[in-house]
Amino acid sequence: MAGVRTSREKWGNRIAIATVFVALIIMLTPIYWITATAFKPRNLATTIPPTVVFTPEVSPFVKLFTKRSQLRDQPTQKEYDAAPWWEQMVFDGGEKVVRNRKTGEVRPSGYADRFKNSLIIAITSTLLAVSMGTLTAYGFSRFKVRGEDDWMFFILSTRMLPPVVVAIPMFLMYRVVGLNDTHLGLIILYTAFNLSFAVWIMKGFIDEIPKEYEEAALVDGYTRMQAFFKVVLPEALTGMAATAVFCFITAWNEYAFALIMTTRKAQTSPPFIPSQIGSGLPDWTVIAAGTFLFLIPVAVFTFLLRNHLLRGMSFGAIRK
Amino acid sequence: MAQIKMINVQKFFGQNQVLQDLNLTIEDGEFVVFVGQSGGGKTTALRAIAGLETITSGKILIDGVEVQDRKAADRDIAFVFQSFSLYPHMTVRENITFPLRAVRMDKTARDKAVNETAEILQITEHLDRKPSSLSGGDMQRVAIGRALVRRPQALLMDEPLGVLDSKLREQMRSELKRLHIARGSTSVYVTHDQIEAMSLADQMVILHDGVLQQVGAPDDVYLKPKNLFVAKFVGSPVMNVADVQINGSEVTMKGVDTGFTFDESTLASLAKYDTEITLGLRPEAILLSQARTKGYTQAVTTNIEPLGSHDIVDVRLGDTVLRVRTESGFVSGEGQPVWVGLDTTQAHFFDKKTELNLRGAA
Ligand SMILES: Nc1ncnc2c1ncn2[C@@H]1O[C@H](COP(=O)(O)OP(=O)(O)OP(=O)(O)O)[C@@H](O)[C@H]1O
Ligand SMILES: [Mg+2]
Repeated sequence: MAGVRTSREKWGNRIAIATVFVALIIMLTPIYWITATAFKPRNLATTIPPTVVFTPEVSPFVKLFTKRSQLRDQPTQKEYDAAPWWEQMVFDGGEKVVRNRKTGEVRPSGYADRFKNSLIIAITSTLLAVSMGTLTAYGFSRFKVRGEDDWMFFILSTRMLPPVVVAIPMFLMYRVVGLNDTHLGLIILYTAFNLSFAVWIMKGFIDEIPKEYEEAALVDGYTRMQAFFKVVLPEALTGMAATAVFCFITAWNEYAFALIMTTRKAQTSPPFIPSQIGSGLPDWTVIAAGTFLFLIPVAVFTFLLRNHLLRGMSFGAIRK
Repeated sequence: MAQIKMINVQKFFGQNQVLQDLNLTIEDGEFVVFVGQSGGGKTTALRAIAGLETITSGKILIDGVEVQDRKAADRDIAFVFQSFSLYPHMTVRENITFPLRAVRMDKTARDKAVNETAEILQITEHLDRKPSSLSGGDMQRVAIGRALVRRPQALLMDEPLGVLDSKLREQMRSELKRLHIARGSTSVYVTHDQIEAMSLADQMVILHDGVLQQVGAPDDVYLKPKNLFVAKFVGSPVMNVADVQINGSEVTMKGVDTGFTFDESTLASLAKYDTEITLGLRPEAILLSQARTKGYTQAVTTNIEPLGSHDIVDVRLGDTVLRVRTESGFVSGEGQPVWVGLDTTQAHFFDKKTELNLRGAA
């Protein structure tokens, strides 16, 4: 943007910056609020007016990962002193950590397992959707497929129905074949979910890769498979990264099916976190802590792929 | 090194016939250039030889072996593409090495071949750079290096210099010629630039709308065009054409009172065709004179293009404008009267309907 700027352009620029600023505030406030609440003592989480200045503590995270029960009697001073620092925090909150009667081991809350389930299911289904989507898109892009446009429309049309509509029949079918509450069950669902999207996005990217890339390799003596892996894939990586981010976010955040299809063994974080509200007064700090941790993988994943993502998003708009 | 033969090759894209009855023999070690207008089927013919396009019918032979059903990988041919040149994610060295990896050459032999090729093409200092940092000329050199490094049976090039500016093109042209002479590999080259074609070719192949128009050495094609299309396509400025009337030994252009006198025997042979005739004259076949000359017709100059080594002068003769090549400064300005004569030995007669050159032998 070199050269002379008129005052009108300057004002336009200022308005643009102000708009971005307002948008940022609107979008970042909930994230700030979740983060702040995740580090608050319980009694400051729901004050009116809201507490902004407080001493952060990690007790919500301790509570998030452990099973607790209400204190009937205050612990004796000796019991209190003998407890490790994190258990003291739970005592301070009027609760106690549940331990195994015989071994004295701390009983975990189940959040860690749910988090692990989320990771396994989201990562596997993303890998599957992106790789299957890329291969399908390659086929559609490079070979004469009879009724190509109709097929592509058909693939897209699988996304036109809100998925929840089929939740009950899916649930019944899953129960018959024994996929309820299994990792595989959710992986299949999320892969199927993301596949049509992956095919469409990847078709766009692969169409942009000149077919001469592979033809040159074919003439040089490579097989089509080798040509695909050696020259198409490196060029398609950017698109695959962008697709992977979207697929991962969808699978990671999915709530409705996870709630219906899983109960314990394969349950993911999204249905687990609100289940902690339970009866009685909810402990918002624990919920916030769970949510806060839940945000991190997507943030990390997106951050790692950010260069690809930026290039991916502007693909086609700016060529070279 | 190899001989390539195409026999009755037909290629359809759906209903659209792109190659028609193509019969062509490319001898071992020849440099053959396909020329023709855009959409003439040059690329398609080349891709058919390489095995990137299956032909609808006909045969393609390499050294006497039918290859039309073989995969590209099994034909041992290298291809330089019209639009693509290099893989952006690989360095120059990796790009040149890429074809050698396919044949599982061992590393020392591979390095030797790459270094040799780089030396010939003068790209040694660029070997470790990425293609995006190269100039257009160097990129094309690397692309040609990629093709040469494997020492293929034949080298096919589809407008490899198409994207370069004219100066660089001329330089690369002579490099290609030198390379061809040094290596002696059978080469097939596509261009739509007839000057490039003439300067490179041992044999020119002129394609138009999928139909082979003429095959021949550049001189042959220039001096003895088989039909009006070839006559107009080859040569710059374009050959002058005019519909004419023949009376005895006189040839008269439409709308001009006086005609040009020809040798009786030349015209007599035309009489038997009994059809309308189109006269074709290259700019150098028309002679100008400042003074009244016997057998010349008076005309007026309308435009002058001074080109340094010579001028191109437009003269109006009745309804027809002829472009004439003269020595520079021969005509001083527009609107001048000049006398126009013909070098009758260089005149071409075409059948107006079939467009065939009727002066067959000449
Ligand atoms: N894959 C294809 N599918 C359908 N038609 C095609 C295909 N490739 C080429 N054609 C058609 O075949 C004809 C010849 O094309 P070709 O590319 O061989 O011409 P060309 O002589 O190389 O032209 P140019 O000088 O523009 O490169 C054109 O009419 C083109 O539209
Ligand atoms: Mg072409």
